[in-house]
Amino acid sequence: MRILIATPLYPPDCGGAALYTKELAKRLSESHTVRVLHYGHLPEKIEGVKTFSVSKRYPLFLRLPSFFFFLLKEIRHADVLIAENGPSVELPVLFLSHLTSKPIIFHIGDRDAHEYAQKKGGLRKRIEERAFSRAKTTLPQTPISRPEILPFRPHPTEKMTKYEESWKTHLTRLTHLFSYGN
Amino acid sequence: MATREQIWNTYVAETIQALAPILKKGGYILDNEQPHVVGERFLMQAVTTTSGKKLILLGTRIADRKRVVIKVSNEKAGISELKEERKVRHALKAIRFAYRTFNSPKELFWGKKKGYAMFIQEFLPNSPTFLERPVKEQFDLALSAFKGQEGAHATTYAHQRFARRYFNEKKAGDYITSFEGFVQYAEQNRIAEDLFKLLQVTLMYLKENKTDIERYQGFLTHTDFVPHNFRVIDDSIYLLDHSSIRFGNKHEGWARFLNFMTLYNPDLEEGFALYMRENRSLEERHSLKLMRLYRLGEIIYYYITAEERSSGDLKMLNHERIYFWGCVLKRILHDEKLRTNEREAYIKKRDALRSPEEKMRQKGLH
Repeated sequence: MRILIATPLYPPDCGGAALYTKELAKRLSESHTVRVLHYGHLPEKIEGVKTFSVSKRYPLFLRLPSFFFFLLKEIRHADVLIAENGPSVELPVLFLSHLTSKPIIFHIGDRDAHEYAQKKGGLRKRIEERAFSRAKTTLPQTPISRPEILPFRPHPTEKMTKYEESWKTHLTRLTHLFSYGN
Repeated sequence: MATREQIWNTYVAETIQALAPILKKGGYILDNEQPHVVGERFLMQAVTTTSGKKLILLGTRIADRKRVVIKVSNEKAGISELKEERKVRHALKAIRFAYRTFNSPKELFWGKKKGYAMFIQEFLPNSPTFLERPVKEQFDLALSAFKGQEGAHATTYAHQRFARRYFNEKKAGDYITSFEGFVQYAEQNRIAEDLFKLLQVTLMYLKENKTDIERYQGFLTHTDFVPHNFRVIDDSIYLLDHSSIRFGNKHEGWARFLNFMTLYNPDLEEGFALYMRENRSLEERHSLKLMRLYRLGEIIYYYITAEERSSGDLKMLNHERIYFWGCVLKRILHDEKLRTNEREAYIKKRDALRSPEEKMRQKGLH
C-alpha cells in the first residue's frame, strides 16, 4: 500500500507528536511505501521514506497554499492519507477532501492542539470538526511514548515491551482501517 | 608599565571604593572578600557575548541581611551587556513557543547611579555544588535543563521575529565563519603545526557537514551552560548568567557542557554519550559532535588569546591548555575517548601552575 502522511510536526521538531510521526513512518515503511509531507526544513531521515517539506518560515498565507498544492500532487501517488491534527494540516486536508476520493484518516497526535481547539471554539474548532467529518475515521489513540534508556539506571525492559506492544496494537488498528474502514 | 593584572586590580579597587557608598545609600553593603574578581578573572573575556568589562560582587541587603549578587559596570560595553542580559532574562519568561519556563534568581534592583549600571539579584547558595552531587543527580538535572532549552524552538515566521527581537541568533554559516576566524588567528599566532593542521581539518569537516548543523538551528541554547553559571534549588536549575543565551544550534549548550565534563567529570560525559546513543537520532548525535568540535576550536582560540595576554606561570598554563584542548579536539574528531592518562597529566600540570588566588576562586565554584 502507498501511504502519504501529512503532519505539522516532524523531527527536528520536539515533542510527542513529532516523534510519533517519525516512528509511524519508520514502522509503516517496513511493509508499505511511505511518503511524508511536513512543515519544516531539513527533516531527520528514514531509510526508504521520502519526505517533502514546506518551510514554516513562510508567512501563513503562503505556507498553507503550498502545503495544499503538495498534498494535491502527492495524493495521486498514494492509496491512503494519514493526517495528523493541527489547523495547518486540517485546513489544507479539508480542501483536499473535496477533490479526492482517497481515504483520509485523521490521527489526534497533538492532544494539546486538539484541546485548545475545543476550548477556544470559533473558527479553530470549526476547521477541526469539518476536517474530521470529511475523514474516513478519526483515530484518537496514540501508542505510549518510548521510555528513555538512561545511564546509571537499569534498562527499562518491561516498559520497552509495553511500548512495543502498544505500537503493535496501533499498527494493527491502522492496517485494519486501511482495509475495512471503521 | 603596568601588567593587565595590575590594571584589572586597580579597576576593581577603584570600582569597589566608588561603589560602596552608593550601595550603602541604597541599602546594601559589599562583602570584604570578593571571590569573583580575583585569580584569572582579569583574563576572562567571554568569546560568545559582547564581552564588556563588568564586576560580579557579593553583598548583603542591610534591611533583612539577605545575601545578594551585584553585577556592575561603568563602561559602555559592560553596561550594554548588563542591559542585554536583563532583556533576555525577561524575554525568557515570555516565550510563548517554549514548552517550559526558565528559573532565574529574583531581581532586586536595576538602575544606574553615578555612572554605574547595577543589577542586583538574590544570592543562591551553591551547596552542595553541582559536581559534589551524585552523578545520577547531575545527569538528571542537566538533561532536564537541556530538554527545557530544546523545548523552545523558533520555527515559524512569528517565532523567529520574537527571537530576533530579544536574542542573538547564530546560524550554521555563522559557526563556520567564526571557526574560520579561530583558524586564522591560530595561524597568525604561529601555534604548533600539527595543532594548526588539526584545526584546518576540523574546519573542513564542519564545512562538509554544515547541513547537520543547520538542521538543529533555531533552538534556544545557553552557550555557557556549565556548573558555575547555574544553581540547583529544590531539584530545579536556576540560570545565573543570561548573557550567553541565544538562538542557535540546539547542541551548542550541550557541547560546552560535555567538553567541560571531559575534564571535570568523565563519567557524566560518558553517561550523556550513552543517552544520546540510545535515545536520539543519528543526525542529532552528529550535530552534537559538530558542535563539540566547534566549541573546542573556540576554547583553543580563547586560550591562544589568553596566552598572549599573560606572563610567567599563567602563560605556561595557557600554553598547556591550548594543547590539552587540542588533544580533546583530536579525540572527538576521531570518535575516541580522551585517555585517563592524558586528562590526569594535564590536571597535574594545571594544579602546579595555577596561582593560589585562582585556586581560591575555584573553590566550591563547580
